[in-house]
Amino acid sequence: MPSIFEKAEPYLFLTPALAILLIFLIFPLFWNTYISLHDVSLTTILRGWEYIGGTNFINLFNDPNFYTSLKVTLMFVGGSVALQFGIGMLMSVLLHQQVRASGVLRAIFIIPWTISAVIAAFSFKFIFDYNFGILNYLLNEIGLQSVGWLSDPSIVIWSLVIANVWYGTPFTILFLTAGLLSINPTIYEAAVIDGATKIRSFIYITLPLLKPFIVINLILITMWSVNFFDIQLIMTGGGPLFASTTASLYMYRQAFEFGLLSKGASAGIVLIAINISIAFIYHKLFRR
Amino acid sequence: MVQKTSTRNPKVWFFAERTLIYALIAVFLFITLSPLIWVLSTSLKPNTEAISFPPKLLPESPTVENYLFVLTDPALARSLINSFIISIGSTALSVAVSSLAGYAFARFEFKGKNVIMSIILGLFMIPIVINIIPLYTMLANFGLLNSLLALMLTFQILIIPLNILLMKNYFETIPKELEEAALIDGCSRLGVLRRVTIPLSMPGFAIAAVLSFRFSWNEFILPVVLANRSDSMVFQVALYQFISLYRIDWGYLSAGITLSLIPVLVLMLTFQKQMIKGLTLGAIRE
Amino acid sequence: MKISKVICTSLVLTIVLVVSLAPGFTTPVVAQKQQVTLTAIVAEPKERWDILFNDALQKLREKHPDIDIQVDYRVLPYDATRTQILTAMVGRTPIDLISVDQIWLGEFAQGEFLTDLTERANTWGKEKDWYKTNWDGGKYNNKVYGIWAWTDVRAMWYWKDLLNQASLDPNSLKTWNGYITGAKQLNDALKGQGIQGMHLVGASHSPDMWYPYLWMLGGEILEQKSGHPTKGTYWFPAYNSTEGVRALEFIKEQINAGIKPQINHFWGQEFADKKFAVMLEGSWLLGTFPREQWANIDQRVGMLPMFSVPNENNMTATMMGGWILSIPETSKNKDLSWELLTLMVEPEVLTPMLQKEGYLPTQKPIGEGPYASQLNTTIPYYNEMISMISVGHSRPNVPEYPQIADNIKQAIDEIYFGAKEPKQALNEAALKSAKVLGW
Repeated sequence: MPSIFEKAEPYLFLTPALAILLIFLIFPLFWNTYISLHDVSLTTILRGWEYIGGTNFINLFNDPNFYTSLKVTLMFVGGSVALQFGIGMLMSVLLHQQVRASGVLRAIFIIPWTISAVIAAFSFKFIFDYNFGILNYLLNEIGLQSVGWLSDPSIVIWSLVIANVWYGTPFTILFLTAGLLSINPTIYEAAVIDGATKIRSFIYITLPLLKPFIVINLILITMWSVNFFDIQLIMTGGGPLFASTTASLYMYRQAFEFGLLSKGASAGIVLIAINISIAFIYHKLFRR
Repeated sequence: MVQKTSTRNPKVWFFAERTLIYALIAVFLFITLSPLIWVLSTSLKPNTEAISFPPKLLPESPTVENYLFVLTDPALARSLINSFIISIGSTALSVAVSSLAGYAFARFEFKGKNVIMSIILGLFMIPIVINIIPLYTMLANFGLLNSLLALMLTFQILIIPLNILLMKNYFETIPKELEEAALIDGCSRLGVLRRVTIPLSMPGFAIAAVLSFRFSWNEFILPVVLANRSDSMVFQVALYQFISLYRIDWGYLSAGITLSLIPVLVLMLTFQKQMIKGLTLGAIRE
Repeated sequence: MKISKVICTSLVLTIVLVVSLAPGFTTPVVAQKQQVTLTAIVAEPKERWDILFNDALQKLREKHPDIDIQVDYRVLPYDATRTQILTAMVGRTPIDLISVDQIWLGEFAQGEFLTDLTERANTWGKEKDWYKTNWDGGKYNNKVYGIWAWTDVRAMWYWKDLLNQASLDPNSLKTWNGYITGAKQLNDALKGQGIQGMHLVGASHSPDMWYPYLWMLGGEILEQKSGHPTKGTYWFPAYNSTEGVRALEFIKEQINAGIKPQINHFWGQEFADKKFAVMLEGSWLLGTFPREQWANIDQRVGMLPMFSVPNENNMTATMMGGWILSIPETSKNKDLSWELLTLMVEPEVLTPMLQKEGYLPTQKPIGEGPYASQLNTTIPYYNEMISMISVGHSRPNVPEYPQIADNIKQAIDEIYFGAKEPKQALNEAALKSAKVLGW
């Protein structure tokens, strides 16, 4: 008969983690939910919080800039995830092909992820600058016209995607390399004997075995891209014409630049909902 | 011989493939490294030369004065130490806490297990930035602003959910029989942990530790709001002071950037093998 | 016996002497000095605060020898300063002094973050020393919430040699037509050298560079209107007036003339690096040139103390920036902080800082009085810049300003990218601003 102590054991193990998460994550979540149902801004936060129910959300969905930001988010996240995953997978596979000094090479490829996001964003802000940036300088040197990387509304979001891909791909490389290393090489030998080409063995052997890694990786990098806003804030501040304002940046600006804390909180809650749906979609997609 | 073609073909194919592989790697190496080489080169230029345009790759008069400045300036040195303290503390805390929780999920069956797990994973979906004001209010009310300990605790929210998942999966790959054998031999639960489980879990700890350190070391927004008194500043925030609205001290800034990527890089290099093993086994069950 | 007595007595005497002279033993008799640390959050760059706090603190200590006063000031980037002040106020953290951007004043005052300084200011009695616009800039709802410590004006700077190269007379740039013609002339002449003629701000603060054209035509950003749903009489957008449309059409002409809006703004560095021949920039532009060159910078760099005007009879206008010093409501040392504030803006303390950094004064004793000569001789074009203060306007002190500025910025962007016509862009922006203001 399990004693009370034994029954309580698992909960004891969980207590430290749950305590920290409760205090530092759940309390803020409740706070945000609470203020999203009230009218809280810089000018009213110390004076009185009026209950307004879902008005914040209604205002949010009536704001054309919010819809634009959702569209931009789709482009930013879609582009980032596709490229991070594609390039990450490619690099992991390449380095797995009995390449010399693969350990050192892997370490080098991880470096971008070891910098803080703010520093990376700042560096790319200068690389892409129209007048001072090295990219346009090189383009001019070979006779091409300067490109408005950050000033052309139609391409600015892709410049941000490039920065995000440079910054975030190392994580995918790390993750997928771990996956590749978990596959027993003897499986391939059997396949080669059976006459399989490299590409076929990749598609039919490697990919299925990598599935758990791929799924977790995709979920993580998708959510991180959705929540990310340092790059947008520092590189363009959201312009021009909101072409680089993702939903995360929209939320930040509402709360901190305009002082509309409850509107920001409601945008934040919408973001959380988006994240949860994404996780759900991935789950369904890969549940086979 | 299965091949019908001449013996030259496989060799050519082999070389072509090898060349392609190395060529692609070289391209990505270039793309990955060029911003960093630029930063390194700028860090070796004296401040006045650093802002020259058109940009020059090699410093005309290389100097280490930027590094000396960053390392000896009392405020910057202090912030560097703060970052180390916070990151190491946060890592230790995170690994300990996540391991305990992961172990519970891996080994026990208990009421609400799935619900709690889902909630923990769900917390990962919250964008950090909306928590700034409530966190600040909370810490202010308890007088914990500018406290390194409070920062250590706050950074946990960035890492614990992922680490719990990784540790849980990792522990699940350690055969229960090993632990049960030790239990039968008269070991207490805690003793089992100490002598059997923990030694076998080094790779898991490695990946959890490296991830925790990386997230703690690089965090900017939380410290800038919660701890910007000069003696409690972290390195990333201190570096940002070189990026003033009116003037950018490129030399110092790039020296600082280069320094800031060393700890995480060293960690990743040293523990690469264990880290990857931990990640491998930590991701298998979903 | 006698000898031992002597030895004893002398020993005792020595001990008493030593003890009474040793400082450690005399302090318990004197009261411990009261210790006060004033905390401040200010916006970068750091240098100017180092100078101000250092000198002002010295004076403050002299005035209060019985208190051990320390100042712990944190210098943060612009955005972080605002965020930090915001969170500190919400979390009710005691802060004693903050630098407030003029556009935040309304918000902060309305949110009850700032101490009402009206009484103290009246006792201080220096209102008459201040330029009116600058004194009013620190007020909200007729109460004083901050002291505008220094300002800057935006003027037109040009490289003399580049204008020569294009055979362009600087004076022709004074009118709108001349500006447009000049832009095309410069772009043609300098095309091969990778230098652009005119600079145009495309960053998030682009409205700041548009307002002067609105003001010089007699327009206003906001005006009072009655019939507000909750406040009776309140501010209403006025920038979509005919003056506003005309001002925005001038921007459109600039775009059509080939002037490109710049997304990143380097605050004059791009001019110093000769990427542009002409740039409308703040007086801090001088700071991008090394101090040694200030003495004869006017030989290479020219300055027109104005924004181009539609025709020669129009008076010009410019926008004034700078920083306001305020005391948060949460401060626990309001009197001492106020004293420190007044010392920081005392001409004796402030002038050396202005001299070093190239900022402009908000008070007449420094601008025109005895201290003017100090600045006159060291800062190039000082008199011209001072003359602009009289045509300098400041932005409205309303809590909703950041959102209104964003609406205006969107309208300007729509002109930059040819998405809409000025009239439509401004009307739509005004509609949004009206909503923001509660109409």
